[in-house]
Amino acid sequence: MEIRALKIEGLTVFYGKRCALQDITLEIPRGQVMALIGPNGAGKSTLIRAASGILPLQSGKIRTNGDEFTALPPMQRARYLAVVPQAVALPPAFTAWETVLMGRTPYLNFLGQTSAADEDIVRRALQRVDAFDFAERRVGELSGGEQQRILLARALAQATPILLLDEPTAHLDMQYQVALMQTICQLAHEDNLAVMIAMHDLNLAARYADSIALLVQGRLESVGSPAYVLTTERISQAYHLPVHVVPHPFQQVPLILPEE
Amino acid sequence: MVKMMFRRSIILLISLSLILTACSPNLNPTTNPTVTEVPATLAIPTGTAITGAPVKPITMVDGLGREIELPGPAQRIISLTPATTEILFAIGAGTQVVGRDTFSDYPAEAGSVTDIGGSMGKYNTEAMVNLQPDLIVAGGINPPELVASLESLGLQVFFLANPTTLDELYTSIKTVGDLTGNKSGAADVVAKMDSKVKEIDTKLIGITERPMLYYELDATPFTAGPGTFVDLLITRAGGTNFGANMDSAWAQISLEQLLLADPAFIILGDSAYGETVATVTARPGWNALTAVKDLKIFPFDDNLVSRPGPRLVDGLEALAHLIHPEAFK
Amino acid sequence: MQKHLLPYLTNLGLLLVAVILSLAIGSVFISPAQLWQILRSWLSHSSLPAGLETFSFIISDIRLPRTVLVLLTGAALGGSGTAYQGLFRNPLADPYLIGVASGAGLGAVLAMSIRWPYTFWGLLAVPMSAFLFAMLTVMLVYSLARVGRTVPTTNLILSGVAFSAFATALTSYLIISSQGEVRRALGWLMGGASQNSWQTVLAILPYLVIGLGFLLMNGHALNLLQFGDDQAQQLGLPVMRTKTLLLLAASLATAAAVSFSGIIGFIGLIVPHVMRLWWGADYRRLLPLSILAGGGFLILADILARSVMRPQELPVGIVTALAGAPFFLWVLRRSKNQGYW
Repeated sequence: MEIRALKIEGLTVFYGKRCALQDITLEIPRGQVMALIGPNGAGKSTLIRAASGILPLQSGKIRTNGDEFTALPPMQRARYLAVVPQAVALPPAFTAWETVLMGRTPYLNFLGQTSAADEDIVRRALQRVDAFDFAERRVGELSGGEQQRILLARALAQATPILLLDEPTAHLDMQYQVALMQTICQLAHEDNLAVMIAMHDLNLAARYADSIALLVQGRLESVGSPAYVLTTERISQAYHLPVHVVPHPFQQVPLILPEE
Repeated sequence: MVKMMFRRSIILLISLSLILTACSPNLNPTTNPTVTEVPATLAIPTGTAITGAPVKPITMVDGLGREIELPGPAQRIISLTPATTEILFAIGAGTQVVGRDTFSDYPAEAGSVTDIGGSMGKYNTEAMVNLQPDLIVAGGINPPELVASLESLGLQVFFLANPTTLDELYTSIKTVGDLTGNKSGAADVVAKMDSKVKEIDTKLIGITERPMLYYELDATPFTAGPGTFVDLLITRAGGTNFGANMDSAWAQISLEQLLLADPAFIILGDSAYGETVATVTARPGWNALTAVKDLKIFPFDDNLVSRPGPRLVDGLEALAHLIHPEAFK
Repeated sequence: MQKHLLPYLTNLGLLLVAVILSLAIGSVFISPAQLWQILRSWLSHSSLPAGLETFSFIISDIRLPRTVLVLLTGAALGGSGTAYQGLFRNPLADPYLIGVASGAGLGAVLAMSIRWPYTFWGLLAVPMSAFLFAMLTVMLVYSLARVGRTVPTTNLILSGVAFSAFATALTSYLIISSQGEVRRALGWLMGGASQNSWQTVLAILPYLVIGLGFLLMNGHALNLLQFGDDQAQQLGLPVMRTKTLLLLAASLATAAAVSFSGIIGFIGLIVPHVMRLWWGADYRRLLPLSILAGGGFLILADILARSVMRPQELPVGIVTALAGAPFFLWVLRRSKNQGYW
């Protein structure tokens, strides 16, 4: 069956005795970008990690409209979804090319032998994130923004219908934040990807996401369009900070401003 | 493409090593090769011994429980321990020794025999093979692995187990005599040793006390415990060994224990490593010992009491003279 | 193409030179020409002139088995050292990190305190005990470090260090309270091929083939692990299973090598770094290259150990450190490979 969406149903995750995520149900259709927002500790990263299969689930399902891959072995799961982590502590000795090539792992034999087709895919991925020029440079020599693009290219090389990103703009300068979000949105629409991004910058989320999910203390407080979720009461309550939500001066999206 | 070439070179490497393995003449070294399997140039001399009389094969059981058969008395012997070297020369088999270990320093004639290694337990097997020996005599300090690896090269090894009493030592010496065709020489040596021991026993009959001796093996300090020849000889020499109640043969002790026991004599078996009367008196706290105050500290040649060989009786004599000089006036 | 083959050809070439030197050097120098003659006579089963007969025996029964044994030991240490550094993502990791050496030492010294009969099995008692205790230690360390479904790297290292300290102390105690086995035990612990027969080679070969073979097939997996357990799993690697098997395989090869040759240090730590500096950090290449280079370097160290103070023989573990350290520092200084790790 053709994959049309990422569905998370009743996901519950425990860290020891503490409930980190409670009964999360979300759906992201292909071609759309959903931003996961919420204060620190709300469970954004936990949700990304749980969905990608590296955390055990207390209960719940992760599936597409057809296949369920909650319990799939890593190799097969990696063909459904790819993760773009934060660009920290990357092995510095690999080149950008070699790093992106790792994304082809789910399709390689156990010896890791790559073919010309794999190399084409890698080249294309690098071009699309505008990183082909420094493909032969070592990752250790690249800037934070460049490293983040390489990780995005790697996820693209994985050729999955679903893309998860964990705070990709966290350490980037303003211009790189904007550039990255623009690239992600473009890719989501061009490749028809279901994209979930955990972010902490509310205004970036408002500007670029098609839908927003607000997590507070492991629970899904609200999910819907940016205009629907980003209201003064909701945000003030969630972040324990009085804010003003006003219409953006030049774009049709909300703008969140702290009151003080 | 690269992977394939790499794979090919690994296969080549493995095949090469397999070919070399298959073509080696001695693939199954566990079977003890008989005389005829050894290459022609290593022919073991048979026939007449030094005396010119026709010889009979010699069969003896060695210290590892194996039956060793020699076609005749051994004429080209390698000794792996200093004690064995001393025994060989003492019984008159010195001219039959073609190789000896590095530490064989007595008698002086041993110095001119080829050195085949032996420090840190490693012997030069090539040098040994080149000497074309007909017998290698191993001692208690040689591990079974060494014996096995020498025999896998087609060499004949006789393991002389460490004696723990004087009688066992006499047996060892006689065994070496049998192996080398020096029966009478061995018997002579044993007789001389025995009579000297008995002479010392006689002289010590009337002693009234058995002073305590602290025999130092190492400056850490270590002393000789029970079951060693040092312990045996000290007792035989009319003394008491400070280390007699220790748990092991090579026992580390403390100054406190020494102070409590307060031995009458301090014997420096480690004088070869630089310990002298001066270094001992300089040790902090040691001047509380009677032996230090009375300067009853004596450097000693450890080889006289630690090598299970003919000079043990010399060691006994030296100790007896030290402890009971009055008995020898 | 040529460029890809260069590292392998270089390492193979070095290895070949080391092997030839090892066969040539000894109490008597046997020239490569004579070696070639001897080899030809073996392959064609023809006879040699009288002078070369003795040489043939020396080569076949003394130098060749020793060279092969040293080669295998060095290969095992180089390969498993690389695997350990990749698994733990730590440049200080070596094959003894989680207790193989201390376990093997304890097993060997324990076995030495018993008088085994002089039989085939009796003679294998010490190496078998060393091997057994080495693997037991690794498994104990592993199970102690486990937290639920994962084995955190830090736990492994700490657990390994604690265990090693314990085993080493126990071993020292056994040595001190032994009845004269001190010399034998210390000789074993300092390393150096003592039982140099073809039998020994055959005894350790299966473990090395299995252990190193498995490592060689997992170069890509080790590359993935450099990104951390999370990313490696997200990219499709079954991390827990892979790490466990890699750990076992590397420990198997190390334990087999160490059980006959004693504890030889430095090779497992330094050879992978030299290979990284020269040829880069891709584990698919690093593993086979470290295996070849480990064998070559240890052969060279062994040659030094037995020639420098003839007829005395230094324990090879001393030579590897004494000669290896300056060599490594030289390589490090001349390397233009910034961020080689």
